[in-house]
Amino acid sequence: MTQSQSQRPAKGLFAQYDTGGFFDEMFEPDGTARPHYRNLFKTLNNMSSAEFRARCELADITLMNQGITFTVYGDEQGIEKPFPVDLIPRIIPAKEWTQIETGLTQRVRALNMFLDDIYHDGRILQAGVIPRELIVNAPNFRRNFIGANVPGGVYVQICGTDLIRDENGTYRVLEDNCRTPSGVSYMLENRLILTRTFPSLFRDNRVRPVDRYTTQLLANLRGFAPSQRDEPNVVLLTPGVYNSAYFEHSFLAQQMGIELVEGRDLFTEDNVVYVKTTHGKQRVDVIYRRIDDDFLDPLTFRPESKLGVPGLVNAYRSGNVALANGIGTGVADDKSVYPFVPDMIRFYGLGEPILEQVETFMGARPDDLKYMLDHAKDLVFKATNESGGYGMLIGPQASPTEINDYLDIVKANPNGYIAQPLVALSRTPCFFTDTVEGRHVDLRPYVLVDRNMDVTVVPGALTRVALRKGSYVVNSSQGGGSKDTWILAGDGS
Amino acid sequence: MLSRHADSAFWIGRYVERAEATARMIDVHYHFGLESPLVGKALTWESIIAISGQEELFAKTYPNQDEASILRFFAFDDANPNSISNSVKYARLNGRAIRDQISSEMWESLNRFYLEYQGWDVDRVLQESPFEFFAWVKNRSHLFQGITNRTLMMGEARDFHDAGRFLERADQTARILDVKYHDILPKFKGDAVVRDQAAGVGGAVDTHGWISVLKSVGAFEAFRKTHRQGVTPARVSEFLVLDSKFPASVRHCIGRVNDCLRRVSGNKDLSPQNEAERKVGQLYNSLNYMRGEELIKQGLHESLEKIQDECADIGKAIRQTYLKY
Repeated sequence: MTQSQSQRPAKGLFAQYDTGGFFDEMFEPDGTARPHYRNLFKTLNNMSSAEFRARCELADITLMNQGITFTVYGDEQGIEKPFPVDLIPRIIPAKEWTQIETGLTQRVRALNMFLDDIYHDGRILQAGVIPRELIVNAPNFRRNFIGANVPGGVYVQICGTDLIRDENGTYRVLEDNCRTPSGVSYMLENRLILTRTFPSLFRDNRVRPVDRYTTQLLANLRGFAPSQRDEPNVVLLTPGVYNSAYFEHSFLAQQMGIELVEGRDLFTEDNVVYVKTTHGKQRVDVIYRRIDDDFLDPLTFRPESKLGVPGLVNAYRSGNVALANGIGTGVADDKSVYPFVPDMIRFYGLGEPILEQVETFMGARPDDLKYMLDHAKDLVFKATNESGGYGMLIGPQASPTEINDYLDIVKANPNGYIAQPLVALSRTPCFFTDTVEGRHVDLRPYVLVDRNMDVTVVPGALTRVALRKGSYVVNSSQGGGSKDTWILAGDGS
Repeated sequence: MLSRHADSAFWIGRYVERAEATARMIDVHYHFGLESPLVGKALTWESIIAISGQEELFAKTYPNQDEASILRFFAFDDANPNSISNSVKYARLNGRAIRDQISSEMWESLNRFYLEYQGWDVDRVLQESPFEFFAWVKNRSHLFQGITNRTLMMGEARDFHDAGRFLERADQTARILDVKYHDILPKFKGDAVVRDQAAGVGGAVDTHGWISVLKSVGAFEAFRKTHRQGVTPARVSEFLVLDSKFPASVRHCIGRVNDCLRRVSGNKDLSPQNEAERKVGQLYNSLNYMRGEELIKQGLHESLEKIQDECADIGKAIRQTYLKY
């Protein structure tokens, strides 16, 4: 990209920067900084790489000492690694944020209405908007919860929706996370780290604060307590210290001032949940659970699970304890349900979808399947019941053998796969030892829903970065990092 | 407080103290060995291994009782459940399990203790000087305890942490004394009183040994100020077990455990409310009313063993009463 290079300043951090023909978050195609990045650009470009590196080292030591780490699986006990943070923030101007905020509000309401519908009357299935067999055969559809009532009809209290930007900079929803979305602690910690190591960057930018998140979440959770309880006891249920997101669990519990419990701390008696304390049992009213449905209650789900609490599901069904998120929400973020979300939004009278999606081919449809098999090298394949970047094939980056092997699996179980064209994710500058290079990013804002179905999207998000050169996979388990994400109060200078 | 959280707080206290005590024990024997012409090194190390109760485990991996093997076994061996490296690891793991309950500074201190520990190995210790290494371990423990004192709320978490710390310290003081005792007459068979009289002869080597015990628990200077008549086994034992002012004496530590448990239950009566209070009260009272010579009269080793057993019982009772989950 010689043309764009010629526009770059002769010296400074960005002297060698190349947008590589992708949509760049920071730079216009002609190489000038976008208006909302201009102040940041000026500050950073006056800095030497040695100076910048010193800040990075400071940040790394802080992360390691504070134990802000995640655990990589595949090893017996898991290896702890510091979550890599790139110190150049990602910036979103107010007008773009407004679209994201309204779009997500609409979308998460629709997902909640959808769950309430399919677990009760199934109107959307009767109307034929979504094929019934798709829902009842979805692995995360909990048949035994049909007819169960949840407080406020809210199934998904916390949703983390992944957005990407395509080659034109259009925001598109890539997937929803309606079960136990993680990463919000990194949104909060990244801000803390940046304000500590780089306070000067904030000076000329009006960055909206993110720390309201835990306050809002706690207020919402308390609201879901059974009505007769005036001082509700809210706890956070974690699988334990070896879970990859354990840092986040303990961080959130600490920030909200609630107890961090494991399944073995809890027990049930007459459909009421209690926690074991040094002074006997204490009633629990709301459980912010970070354990998957399958492990919640060995009496209902997997009998071998030691993470859960026997009897929890009955206590939940009896209305004596609230769960966030509810049980059976996984069907709403199923990759084979995703293509129907725009229709869902229309069906529940929420208007035209505000946010775009990514075109999706479904293995379950014969025409789509044929297209998928014929154009595998242009498509990204995903197993509908996998997440975290596992079970994927990126056609354009795979060898013919890899593609053939993968297609054999797809042919054996076409219903379990979808495919999408490879979206050229937007890139943003990241710092590496002594250079700044572009890397692909996505965006995960966190959406909170209260008992009255009022929605809060805290002005912030987790920007995940595929740190490996050329990679499109942003998951932390696959070599991804993150960035502090600034939502500006205005649209920049 | 959640029982599991209380359990973790208790064990953080124990493991940090254990790391420090193990460092102290090895340190003092290491330096005792350097200056002791009459006592062979093999004998010195043998007593440490014997008292740790891990002769078999040690013999399985290490053919020789040399300096490097001892250092590896007690400071770095994952197979030794009481090695300093394991104590630090478990302290941190418990800290991690309740990092929402303790102060961030406490967690960070534990985490750094662990991370920096990974930078040490036997070669580095021998190269840089074991003294530096042990001093570093002790300082890390003190730093953590200082931070805990300064930042942890005056509540149950602190009481359980302190109960763990002081119970461990009481146990370790008795143990260190016992190691020394073992050194003097390791293989003596027969009447305990006769044996103790033999031990009490107090030659030059022997005095050197008892001084090293005092130094190992940081008690030498305090002992000098309290007992100006000189160093004898009876006085050293009395000081380390029964002194009411020395902060690592068994009596003082058990008194602190007693205070912690009473604060947790809020029990202000003389009589105990539960098994943990009963056990700790029993030991505390017996130490309170004991005279120095009684320790020796019953056989010092037997007395120390009894104290260690009772410490173990207190631990079990605390677990049964409060920490089981």
